[in-house]
Amino acid sequence: MTKERAFRFGRAQHLVGVAGLPTTPAPVAPVGVIVLNAGMVHRVGPFRLHVEITRRLNACGYPTLRFDLSSLGDSGASNESQSQVQQIRADVADAMSLLASHAGCTRFVLLGLCSGAQNAHTVAVDEPRVAGAIFLDGYAYRTLGFRLRHYLPRLWSAARWHRFISRKLQAAANRRGDDVFAVSFPPQEQVQRELTAMLDRGLRLHFIYSGGVTRYFNHPRQFRECFGRLADRPEISARLFAGTDHTYALQVDRQYLLQDIADWLQQQFPTSGESIP
Amino acid sequence: MFGLYHAVAGQARAAVLLCPPLGQDMIRSHRVYRQLADALALQGIAALRFDYYGSGDSAGGSDELDWARCLADTVTAAGELRARSGCARLIGFGARLGGSIALGAAGTARLSELLLWDPVLDGNRHVAALDALQDALRVDPMRFNAPRTREDAAGQWLGFPIGAGLHRQLGNWRAEPSPLPVRVFDSLPPAAAHDWNTLLGGAASVTELPSTASWDELDRLEHAILSPDLIRAVGDHLRATA
Repeated sequence: MTKERAFRFGRAQHLVGVAGLPTTPAPVAPVGVIVLNAGMVHRVGPFRLHVEITRRLNACGYPTLRFDLSSLGDSGASNESQSQVQQIRADVADAMSLLASHAGCTRFVLLGLCSGAQNAHTVAVDEPRVAGAIFLDGYAYRTLGFRLRHYLPRLWSAARWHRFISRKLQAAANRRGDDVFAVSFPPQEQVQRELTAMLDRGLRLHFIYSGGVTRYFNHPRQFRECFGRLADRPEISARLFAGTDHTYALQVDRQYLLQDIADWLQQQFPTSGESIP
Repeated sequence: MFGLYHAVAGQARAAVLLCPPLGQDMIRSHRVYRQLADALALQGIAALRFDYYGSGDSAGGSDELDWARCLADTVTAAGELRARSGCARLIGFGARLGGSIALGAAGTARLSELLLWDPVLDGNRHVAALDALQDALRVDPMRFNAPRTREDAAGQWLGFPIGAGLHRQLGNWRAEPSPLPVRVFDSLPPAAAHDWNTLLGGAASVTELPSTASWDELDRLEHAILSPDLIRAVGDHLRATA
């Protein structure tokens, strides 16, 4: 059995989150799963995606926490003099401490979509309690293969040209300051170096790309094109849900996503037994 | 049921129950609800935000959202706000379907005044609009690389599964003239029909907001609704009346 409980927590009691906690703690605590904000959307996630993910994982036996980073959603500011990266790392450290004290977890898997994936990466780089991460539309870089797949079909397709131009116009129109999913990526070499270091530390990493990011990722093979032999290591995996949008607006797409996340976790971090929600 | 109470320093001089809209409107307006609650608390007005069963952080799946349950949850939330604030007299606020729910629950929840932001007053028309938006979403080239089937998109409104019950309940709902004082904050585009007095029986006062909210624009479906004008207007109104 799992119950959900709301918390105000953190070093300044400024963070707000909802934890899914087992009513009867397991003899060996499984990894705790911490879900980070997707863009500016508060902790329930786009179309309530984060609620569905955490409840599904609770049903599989994993303690979870969905929470708002400083100044997002219902969380306040910590009033510390910190860079954004320092603040994100401190917020997630507070989240891990909360889940540790209420569910006994000592290791954690971070999960984030879009900017949430970037923040999960930022924390996983040097936080020893992180055992794994699930990146939804996380880092990837355009490759020669990407460009061939992206541009060649457009040369002969009026419909694709129309969509391409429409998207460019839409992107320009969206630069009005309230775009909740605007992100920019660090250099590819840096990301590759950091991912290698994570794997060397024993982390398990899973990348899931949606059809909503075909502007930079358009084929499962591209992951290897980006990251080379790193992609062959057994601790890292990637998959593409090409038919979906960026935020999984359709229920059928969310079900595929939830199943993939649950399957990966069960494979990489098996629980001793399932609980019933 | 999940709720967040915005306390004031000392005794609250009034209390506002913030009824959220449903579906994606709720996600989009979360920020402005928080900002409004914070602004009210600074004025000495306590506020409670909450999520209905099947929405937000509250228990229940999205497909379990039910109109009657939303009304009942509003009554529960009103009781909680009375107990926490010490105010017997509560003002109800709601945007879009949150305004409709505030209207529907006002009597049972013993609300004394309603502040409604672009409320939905004709459920049947709103259902038709949501059905049309959902159909447009599934073939939206900005969202999907290839159009999705009707089957994939069936039984949902803009990212949220809906039960047949809610579809029917909302389709049958229509605002009735309110015996309470009602103030409508209007930020709908000029092209949208919004004859507030016809639907509210001529009892409503209307504040026209200078900025327009993009509630029903598919290409802004995942953009936050931000409205400093709304926060200012509600604050000014309550400063004068509460």
